[in-house]
Amino acid sequence: MKAIEGVALSKSFGGVVALRRASFAADGGEVHALVGENGAGKSTLIKLLSGLYPPDSGEIRVNDATVHFARPQDALVSGIGTVFQELTLLPFMTVAENLMLGREPRSGPFIDRRKLITAAHELFDDAGISGIEPLELVGNLPLAQQQIVEIVKAVSRKPRIIFMDEPTSALAEHSVDWLFGVIKRLRAEGACIVFTSHRWNEIKGIADRITVFRNGEWVATSQAAELSEGDAVERMTGQRLDVLFPKPAPVTDQTQRLTVEGVTAKKLPAISFGARAGEVLGIGGLAGQGQRELFLTLFGVNPHTAGTVRVDGAAAHLRTPQEAIRAGIALIPEDRKTEGLLLPLSVRQNLALAVLKRVSRNGFVRRAAEDALVGSMVTSLAIKTPNPGQRVGALSGGNQQKVLIGRWLLTDARVLLLYDITRGVDVGTKRDIYLLIRRLSEEGRTILLYSTDTEEIAHLCHRVLIMREGRIVSELQHDLTPEAIVAAAIRVPVAS
Amino acid sequence: MARLRLRYYAVQNVPLLLSLGLFVAMVILYIILFALKQSRLPGAFELLTTVNNTLSVGLSAIGQTFVVLTGGIDLSVGGIVDVTNSVAARYMGDSPGSIALVSLATLAVGAFAGLTNGLLVVYGRLQPIIVTLATLAIWEGIALLVLPQQGGSIPPALTAILAGTLPFLTWLPNSVIIAVLLVAGWQLLRSTPFLTGVYAIGNDERAARANGISVARAKLGAYTLAGTCAGAAGLYFAAANTSGDATSGTPFTLTSIAAVVLGGVSLFGGRGSAIGSLAGAFILTLLLNVLFFAGVNTQLQEFFQGLFLILAVVASTLVRRSLQRAR
Amino acid sequence: MMNVNALRAERGTLLAFAAAIALVIVGGIYRPSFVQPENLATLLLLASFIGIAAAGQTFVVLIGGIDLSVPWVLNAMAILLTTTSLGQNDRAWWAVPLALGAGVLAGALNGLGIVLFDIPPVVMTLAMNGIMEGLVLGLTGGFTCGACNSYAPPAIVWLFTAKPIPGVANGLLLWALIAAGVGVVLSLTLLGRRIYALGNNPLATYLSGIDTRAVTVIVYALSGFFAAIAGFGLAAFGQQATLGMGDPFLFDSIAAVVIGGASILGGKGNYWGSVAGAIFLIVLRSVLQEYNIGEAGRSIASGVVILIALLLYGRQRAEF
Repeated sequence: MKAIEGVALSKSFGGVVALRRASFAADGGEVHALVGENGAGKSTLIKLLSGLYPPDSGEIRVNDATVHFARPQDALVSGIGTVFQELTLLPFMTVAENLMLGREPRSGPFIDRRKLITAAHELFDDAGISGIEPLELVGNLPLAQQQIVEIVKAVSRKPRIIFMDEPTSALAEHSVDWLFGVIKRLRAEGACIVFTSHRWNEIKGIADRITVFRNGEWVATSQAAELSEGDAVERMTGQRLDVLFPKPAPVTDQTQRLTVEGVTAKKLPAISFGARAGEVLGIGGLAGQGQRELFLTLFGVNPHTAGTVRVDGAAAHLRTPQEAIRAGIALIPEDRKTEGLLLPLSVRQNLALAVLKRVSRNGFVRRAAEDALVGSMVTSLAIKTPNPGQRVGALSGGNQQKVLIGRWLLTDARVLLLYDITRGVDVGTKRDIYLLIRRLSEEGRTILLYSTDTEEIAHLCHRVLIMREGRIVSELQHDLTPEAIVAAAIRVPVAS
Repeated sequence: MARLRLRYYAVQNVPLLLSLGLFVAMVILYIILFALKQSRLPGAFELLTTVNNTLSVGLSAIGQTFVVLTGGIDLSVGGIVDVTNSVAARYMGDSPGSIALVSLATLAVGAFAGLTNGLLVVYGRLQPIIVTLATLAIWEGIALLVLPQQGGSIPPALTAILAGTLPFLTWLPNSVIIAVLLVAGWQLLRSTPFLTGVYAIGNDERAARANGISVARAKLGAYTLAGTCAGAAGLYFAAANTSGDATSGTPFTLTSIAAVVLGGVSLFGGRGSAIGSLAGAFILTLLLNVLFFAGVNTQLQEFFQGLFLILAVVASTLVRRSLQRAR
Repeated sequence: MMNVNALRAERGTLLAFAAAIALVIVGGIYRPSFVQPENLATLLLLASFIGIAAAGQTFVVLIGGIDLSVPWVLNAMAILLTTTSLGQNDRAWWAVPLALGAGVLAGALNGLGIVLFDIPPVVMTLAMNGIMEGLVLGLTGGFTCGACNSYAPPAIVWLFTAKPIPGVANGLLLWALIAAGVGVVLSLTLLGRRIYALGNNPLATYLSGIDTRAVTVIVYALSGFFAAIAGFGLAAFGQQATLGMGDPFLFDSIAAVVIGGASILGGKGNYWGSVAGAIFLIVLRSVLQEYNIGEAGRSIASGVVILIALLLYGRQRAEF
């Protein structure tokens, strides 16, 4: 009997297919790992199976019986618990209220606050957690502790099936050990645990079976013991191994283009480095080591309290994105929906947004000049759109990303900050973006590249800086392989 | 344990405590100005008029709080006050039975109006601000049909109950007792799973849903309670003025929002307390009293109320920013 | 090159115009004099006051805000105009810019409070409405001042009510001019592009190097500007400014925008929709009046109409 089963599930969001006829099954008493690249459909599968939203087509079965989840409540009642990647905690409510939401201890019709606190303490005791105060507001906890609260909340409902989407990404090592203890206990009790992780050693350490997803489709399910990391990576990336990463263009110009000296800002305790014209500089390290803050600070979103940034020798004021753009810096953000695109507006409006002033005279947008610029970018990036008036939201994910990149190329920025720009993009577009990066580097632009995909950093960059806790801890220039970069990222410092 | 709880409570309820502090400051200022002008301290009569003048706004502000906690806003408060005020003035007879029945009916009308708003917001998937602007016009119109001419009558017995004093406790206005009961009632409600759900959806609707909270039920409940409170405000206003007026509710929409804001309730939802809103209503009344004793032209009162509201919000923003910086 | 999305945005405009025309026909069936050109021209002139105030509200709603201070900014500027000009043309040359400037200032203050102190637009504009009301009442001594009953300057009366073209009041031409101007600003200028961008996605707009704070202040200042002009028109139409003349404009300005199909969440809509909404509201009320339906019924109908418009094209996508 299968504890949980999804049969031929499909789901798309505004024209972007997240899951395509994907099937998946897991048994009681097993730990089942879901692996795949970002955008492979793991999170979407988990959300469908947790009742967060309904599938466009396909069927969900619990203990071989077909179920229809109209809302998450229905899944909870069916014995399904979920640790969501974007936590489902309520920031302005206390830890205790969050843990016991919807099942508060009562006296009569009222919540018994004293028992509520006691119950929260008991849940933490049972789980072997100490040091989180039930009376504290969840929003005041550090992310790692919030992650623990989310896990304790889900597990304490004694679900028979439990999904954990990237539960370890925010956890310190000893907390990962704690979590694996919890998972093993649940398995011993016969529960079915499905989890996702990007860290292969974690997967190998605990999973009984592994299912690989790629581009919204199921690829394979195997016994964990029988799957090597190489095989897994091959299945996860699939055709991508056929994609030849273009060799980085040789850097001929020795001009120092970007100079960062002692820049101090949120999560960045004084950072210094430089980059030459035409150089592609990788910013590596584990997730959340200040890479995002570095990019936001260089783009004037986060203020810096000390240090200077120079572009071609000129000191750049970076108090707003406007000033950063003026200094010749552009940031292509990771989340194109919230930080990048105006989805209901046209390709034209999106492409021209950052250069509106240049195509205007006396406050009027010169349509001819705008169309010329927009047209050139549509052609040069091979953006597939019926016409420039097309709504961006109706394009495919890859073409949406091209529109966003195009907006920033139009600014003629000399320094490009690329933050995980191939996330959730199809293979074909990825290849286009790789070629584009090479072309931009040949044109003499300096590129800072951050990616959750280490292969990209390894193959596209001239040089890689590894960040940990907001500092640059090492620099790799020769022999750039994913293994070397990962090794440098996880090399545990002696202290802390 | 108790001390720990108190400390966490204090840190987590800074806006409410600020608002209560402002309330106390206004009371003291009022007493000082009163004493300077009248050469005596304010007494039972002043207490009676101040609380009676505030309670209808206070009731509507408590109602507004429920909707604001969900992250919405209710502009129809004024219209609901209009219509319930008119119903009470037109239909209430002098018999105890009639008083009881019509009083309940006004509350029911308020509840129905609120529920309508809730249904339109939840199942119509419409924005609260526009829905309630539309229902405001509808209820204003209905009120004019119910009571075309200003007047009607409220039996003295109801006025005595709601706006008078008990015969054996003449120094303690009944409106004070009602206010205390409202605070106690809120505290009880605060401990129900229902209101926890309302706070949850105001915190983060998606996350609350993922935790199994029924968004529809919480919102419908919040809007219905808001309407009921607005109905109570209309009834009380009629009783305090011993007659009805189909347009008397107009200021209530704006004052209820002002009171909620002064009470430290976040307009983004999920944070705040109706006790703060009630304090906010008192702050607005006391401000008028203070201005009066300070010799300020009474015709400037809206000016000072508006200015005061802005200053209060700016001050709380600055306090919040400095707290964040201190972190 | 009209794509599906643009058509969807126009749906509100088309429906509102169609409904207004249908109502005119209904009115004409009941009483043929209703469709006389003179009557229709009067209705349009009445609609122009709502339409002009709604121009400002359209700007504000397009960036995802709301302006609840329209009633008393409008009222205050009308009174400022009459009490400073004292009905004389030779004082109008400075009284008019003074009142317009004051309207712009009030609007700009709304915008500044919103961007500098994170005050929610509802609270800021609500407070500004009270401030304007208090100022008017306080400074005119409850409208007992000597200058309070002054007439609007003849030049302004001429600008709105004279009919150099037989049958067509100047006010209508002015409205057409404003409509054209707003249309041009929204569709052809830098500011217009930035307004739509801001209304659609404030974060992405900010990250694209656009000074979103400046846009916000400008937009609220424009709302104050148009409220002042609507106030002038109303004062010219009634010869005098009166207390409370702005009160209906809170509802009407927002209603016109919403009936015209703009999204209250910002980023979607245009001024032609608001024009249609304003005309529809006035025609609806006057047809109801033809049928002897009183103020109560007209108010109910206005509310119901907004709800119908919202349910037709203002619904959010279902939340999953």
